[in-house]
Amino acid sequence: MSEVAQGHLAGRVAVVTGGCGGIGQAICARFAKEGAKVYAADISDDGMGEEGAVTFHRTDVTSEDSVSALMTAIDDNDGKLDVLVNAAGIEIEKTVEETSLEDWNRIFAINVTGMFLTSKHALPLMRKAGGGSIVNFGSYDGFIADPSLAAYCATKGAVHALTRAMACDHGPENIRVNAVCPGYIDTPMLQSFCGSAGDIESLKSEVRHIHPLRRYGTPEDVANLVNWLAGDEARYASGQLWVLDGGLTAQAQQMRL
Amino acid sequence: MAKGLEGKRALVTGGSRGIGRSIVEAFMEEGAQVLTCGRNSTPTDLPLGVAWHSADVSDRQQAEELVAVTQAQLGGIDILVNNAGVQIEKTVAESSDEDWERLMGVNAKAVFQLCRSVIPVMAGQGGGAIINIGSISASHADPKMALYNASKAFVQGLTRSIAVDHGPQGIRCNAIAPGWILTEMADSAFDLARDPAAARADAAARHPVGRLGTPDDIAQAAVWLASAEAAFVNGQTITVDGGLVAASPLRPELF
Repeated sequence: MSEVAQGHLAGRVAVVTGGCGGIGQAICARFAKEGAKVYAADISDDGMGEEGAVTFHRTDVTSEDSVSALMTAIDDNDGKLDVLVNAAGIEIEKTVEETSLEDWNRIFAINVTGMFLTSKHALPLMRKAGGGSIVNFGSYDGFIADPSLAAYCATKGAVHALTRAMACDHGPENIRVNAVCPGYIDTPMLQSFCGSAGDIESLKSEVRHIHPLRRYGTPEDVANLVNWLAGDEARYASGQLWVLDGGLTAQAQQMRL
Repeated sequence: MAKGLEGKRALVTGGSRGIGRSIVEAFMEEGAQVLTCGRNSTPTDLPLGVAWHSADVSDRQQAEELVAVTQAQLGGIDILVNNAGVQIEKTVAESSDEDWERLMGVNAKAVFQLCRSVIPVMAGQGGGAIINIGSISASHADPKMALYNASKAFVQGLTRSIAVDHGPQGIRCNAIAPGWILTEMADSAFDLARDPAAARADAAARHPVGRLGTPDDIAQAAVWLASAEAAFVNGQTITVDGGLVAASPLRPELF
């Protein structure tokens, strides 16, 4: 019980990419509360609160030099890494036809290549820890499509496949790899998506009504799942895509009669 | 694929109306001999040349008799389509034992019984094709349709089992999962909407193809699965829904 009282990630070292974003901040705060030493890796610290236990490290996940520098800093300070959360991501609200090659390369660079680079450079540090947990950000959009998010949907499908592949390759080293696949979470990204159809405030009751749980998710809901996957309670969980959507995708679309 | 089922002998359950009727007509068009059934007496509008046998397929004796009659009248059975189905609009908490017996009797037990009776016939002929009609609701729940949704998941599971167990005997077993099909039943539901035109437009907009399905959309999938074109397709559930379940249910532009 004493260990639980200290937090179930006591003594663990964790890095969260996109750690200053809507969901990333909630994860960093939860990890810190659970006793972990947390690095929030992001391109800017805008929006990051005064979290004593969270260290900001400016990182561009699309740059191998930048990612390598992040991992070297962690190695120098802590000598190991227990948890990597790949939460950095962007969306581009376009169809395939509207998407430029530059758009396409940019979203893949952040959502997929970034995950590849951080994982590649985190693995040696996880070996030093005797194992670890990698939590990737997939999406329910990796299973079903939202309109005008073509490249985003494709990146999430790639994340799901990469998650399984890494879980198979590194399971023997006690490194678990999972993906969380959020549905609608109340973040600036969601407001942007819904904003294309109108004012988010006027949409809120409709959005709630479509979910079996009659609400959409919060960053804390996501942090709860990531926290579980990061820790020892999830020691047999690997290679899976954890859909967290309030039951949204369990249902068929309904006719409005 | 004109005449892709020439010389084939097909038993299609529930052919008095809706999707079943369209399958009967499409099979005839492709040159098959067809016997269909329902609980009532011969429908007055049954196409010429289609054989009819009144049967409650949830009753074991009547199901076995149906298979025997089909063999006798058509000289064998190359294709079985388990289309007959009922729906009960209730949650689990609202469903009675009688609801369970009725719904699972038709949607699950009858499928099992007819497959059990037809498999030896097909095996004796060197093979055949079984097509079960499931639903997208097997994997995406329609609200207040609890037993129906569950029965369609049973259909998918049974389809895979038959494919695995009886594939070596030359029997292919596949399922079709229709989405929203504009049958008489669906059309009358729209008529009851507060604003029928708006309800129809909203339903169409939710489909990437911009419309609901027709019974013939499902019938054409059944023709293909029954034909030699699908000779290597086995154990699958083919979703025919205009892209509905590929799309997110949350569509801000429709609010």
